[in-house]
Amino acid sequence: MNSSNGNGSMSTASSSGAWNGRDQFPAGLRVLVVDDDQTCLMVFEKMLKTCLYQVTKCNKAEIALSVLREHKNEFDIVISDVHMPDMDGFELLKHINSEMDLPVILISADARKQVVMKGVTYGACDYLIKPVCIETLKNIWQHVVRKKARNTF
Amino acid sequence: MDLVQLQRQFVDYRTSLYHEGFLDEQFTQLQELQDENNPDFVVEVVSLFFEDSERLLNELARALEQQSIDYKRIDAHVHQLKGSSSSIGAQRVQKVCIAFRNYCEEQNVEGCLNCLQQVRHEYSLVKTKLESLFQLEQQILTAGGSIPM
Repeated sequence: MNSSNGNGSMSTASSSGAWNGRDQFPAGLRVLVVDDDQTCLMVFEKMLKTCLYQVTKCNKAEIALSVLREHKNEFDIVISDVHMPDMDGFELLKHINSEMDLPVILISADARKQVVMKGVTYGACDYLIKPVCIETLKNIWQHVVRKKARNTF
Repeated sequence: MDLVQLQRQFVDYRTSLYHEGFLDEQFTQLQELQDENNPDFVVEVVSLFFEDSERLLNELARALEQQSIDYKRIDAHVHQLKGSSSSIGAQRVQKVCIAFRNYCEEQNVEGCLNCLQQVRHEYSLVKTKLESLFQLEQQILTAGGSIPM
């Protein structure tokens, strides 16, 4: 999946293993990561690939939203930075929550309580403070399972 | 200098960067992410960081020169610099960003100008040191050796 749209861009990188069945889970987890900072985006992508996830990266929230709308059911989880020009992480979160059933993790270098509170009350399933370490990313599959379980019962 | 000496110099230099607070645990994470599929990962990420930082520092200087200072804009830039410096483990740069944001909140122009000077200084220090580190790495590889972890 490769598309360019003005100043924004996104690209997909797959790990070598495809998600064939539950026994390989969480390998192949389909993650959309959104951050306007190219340094952070590159680090996230590498970390997520190392977790054997299937990663699509995006540097603009609007593009992320249109990708999610066009490719419904092709993603398991969204990770988004909070502070971005134009549409920010909170707005993206609101759109995703109202239109689809995807867990969204917010990430920021902003650790202020009121900002984290906002993220949680808007419905982020987690709020991570940068710098994020790979061990944390190894556990994000729990949010996918939790959401599915909540929907089933 | 022979290979063993080069490798020892590399390890000592890298250790000193941690001790002096230039780099933190996050840089170690980056090194651990590097593998045969992405042998230049650390250099690539750090180069992006240099690119981003230089742009941000210029924007900050410009913003602080304005008649009527837009503190929200300055805060946004500093926030981004804080995020990217923390992502590569540039600890001293990150620390100045924290102080910088506080001055922004207080709308203290003196404080902001001081922080800009400080962050410029810390950035150029860490840039020089990382470039030296990469140069040492390159010398080791050219001599046919491997980089000590």
